[in-house]
Formats: sequence, structure tokens, C-alpha cells
Amino acid sequence: MKTARRIPLLKKMLGQLGIEEDRLRLDWVSASEADRFARVVNDMTEQIRRLGPFSRTGGGNNG
Amino acid sequence: MAKPKVALYWIAGCGGCDVAVLDTNEKILDIANLVDIVFWPIALDYKYHHVEAMPDGSIDLALINGAVRNTEHKKMVELLRAKSKVVVAFGSCAYLGGIPGLGNFVSNADILKRVYLEIPSNANPEGTLPQTHVKVPEGELELPALTDSVLTLAQVIKVEYFLPGCPPAPDAIMKLVELWATGKLPPPGAVVASDKSLCDECDRVKENKKITKVYRSHQIVPDRKKCLLEQGLLCCGPATRGGCGQKCINANMPCRGCFGPPPGVVDQGAKLVSAIASIYQGNTPADIARMLDEIVDPAGTFYRFGLANSLLHKTRVPASQGGSTK
Repeated sequence: MKTARRIPLLKKMLGQLGIEEDRLRLDWVSASEADRFARVVNDMTEQIRRLGPFSRTGGGNNG
Repeated sequence: MAKPKVALYWIAGCGGCDVAVLDTNEKILDIANLVDIVFWPIALDYKYHHVEAMPDGSIDLALINGAVRNTEHKKMVELLRAKSKVVVAFGSCAYLGGIPGLGNFVSNADILKRVYLEIPSNANPEGTLPQTHVKVPEGELELPALTDSVLTLAQVIKVEYFLPGCPPAPDAIMKLVELWATGKLPPPGAVVASDKSLCDECDRVKENKKITKVYRSHQIVPDRKKCLLEQGLLCCGPATRGGCGQKCINANMPCRGCFGPPPGVVDQGAKLVSAIASIYQGNTPADIARMLDEIVDPAGTFYRFGLANSLLHKTRVPASQGGSTK
């Protein structure tokens, strides 16, 4: 359960440092939920693709 | 045999590091007997051209305090690097960026806007901003420009040793000088302090490593014998290098992290997020919301001295708002 506290605090700190919230995601998937695992990974990949590569001046087209 | 030559210089700092050297009191005379001080703006009247005239590598030891904030700092530390055999990043600003490094939370444009246009006590109806070049009847004057971000010394020049502390304690300064004078310094790259974390050295009673509520320093008077973190104060001891003599702890104040990360820790702020969040008690969404509420300024608290030296180095500013890649 430490992770459930660490990630929100890290998100708050990354927000102060100008990092988009969507670049970090915490989700819980059981070992028996293969479909859900694949879906979460695909969603995240798509989300990051939309944000574009990380750069100091803003990723992708949002710079 | 000629005495070894020592230079001391200050860049973006507060002057406290130079005062700490003077705080060695009568031992400063031992240092003066041992070495020739060839450059020290706070105490001796040498000019930049005196340093320029010295042969390369002729200064045996250069102690540089402060962070790099403008083009003059950059030029001077590059000059001192060329003239010196051993360079020490002296104090937390030179080593980590220090308090000036907090400037990396905002863009230069925002700093100038705030300081020259918005501060209520400032009368600047024409909205004049500092310029790096200005023409006067006698010719053109040039002033140093801000660097894109606050830089640590090692981000600009090669540095042999790091002496943390805000400021380094006089006994730590004497130890550094002694190690250097007797040829006993560790291999280059070393941080001259303890290899343990502050928590490992702290004598306070640690009981259960749990926080039920986070307090800010002005909200409680903590028990002098018990672990400050367990009393709810955000003490940076778990992810801060020891060797400081625990002056803050002994004054009943939590560690602010000025010694930087201990060996094995890459990013002090990230490590503190991990350490603090893991001992906070409560797992429900309401508990987590309460924790986020109580930890008002995680980035400012956990990178108070180390932002410029951290993995992210500065707040990301979109190019459309004047951000740059450096």
C-alpha cells in the first residue's frame, strides 16, 4: 500500500515541476487479468503518444 | 619551497560560505601560514586581471562557493578552472545549486517580471527591465546576462571535490584543508563528508517510523529527544548525507537537506517522496488526500537545496512561455 501513497505525492511534485499528470499512471491489475493488463498498457501507450516525446520545453506539439 | 597557492571565489551565493571560512577564527592564521591566498574578493584586493595574468595550473587549490547564475560567473569559473590544479565546489550552492537553485522553479522571464514589474514596493512606472547592453555617451556598457537556468559548478566546469553545507562548518573546512595539505584527499569526485545518511548518525529516539499527521515547523514544538519525522515534521534526514554535525537537529529543527543525497541516492527529492509517503499512515483515498493537503509544497521541501542538481534540473516551461532546453 506504500505505492498508493507514493504515486499521488510524486504526481503532486511532478506537477510543480511542469510534468503533465498523464505521463504517470498507477493502476492495479491482478495476475489473472491478462486482458485488462493489455488494455491498461495499450491505453497508457496511446496516452503517451498523444503527449509526444518528453522535452524540457513541452512534449510533442504542445511546446 | 614556495607555499601552495589558494584562491577563494564567490558566485551566486549569500556570502555565508566566505564567513564560514573566517569562522575558523585563529585557525585562519594557520591556513595563511601554510598557503599563499592569491585571490579572495571578500578579503583581499585582487582583480580579475590579476587572475588572468597567472600561468595556467598555477593555483594549487580553488575553493568556489555559490551557484552559476550569469555569464560573468561562467566566465570566472572557467578562468579559475584553467588556472587551478584542484577545484572544490565549496558549500551547497556550488555543489547542488542550493537556495539560488530554487530559481529553477520559474523562467527567467517570470523572475524579471516579478522582481521589476510586480513587487508592490517597486516604483517602475515605465516598466524598465535590466538590459545586458546599454549605450551611454562614453560608449556601450555591458552587464552579465542570466544563464537559462541556475547551474551547479560541476554542470559548468570539471570539479575535483565537493564540500556540502549551508555553509560548510568551520571544522569541516579545516578537515578539507588538512586532507589536502597532507595529500590525503580521497580520489577526485568525492564528496568530503560522511558516507552515511543523516538518520544513520542521528541520536534521537526512533520508535515506530510512522507519521499520522504532517506538521509545519511553526505549528508544533517538537520533543527534543524523539525523531522529528515521527513527530510529523518533514525532516530530510532519510535522504540527506550526514557529516554536518546535526546543527539543525540539535536546535530542534528538521533537516532541510543541505548536504545533498547520500551515496547510492541519485535524486534526493524522489527519494524523500518515497520515504515520507511510505511511512504516512492511512490507505483510504481520504487519507491520501489528507497527506497531499498536509504536504503543502513537496518540490520546494524535498528539493530545497538540490533542484539544480536533480534529474529534472528545473521546472519545465513550454517554449511558448519562454522555456529553453538548457
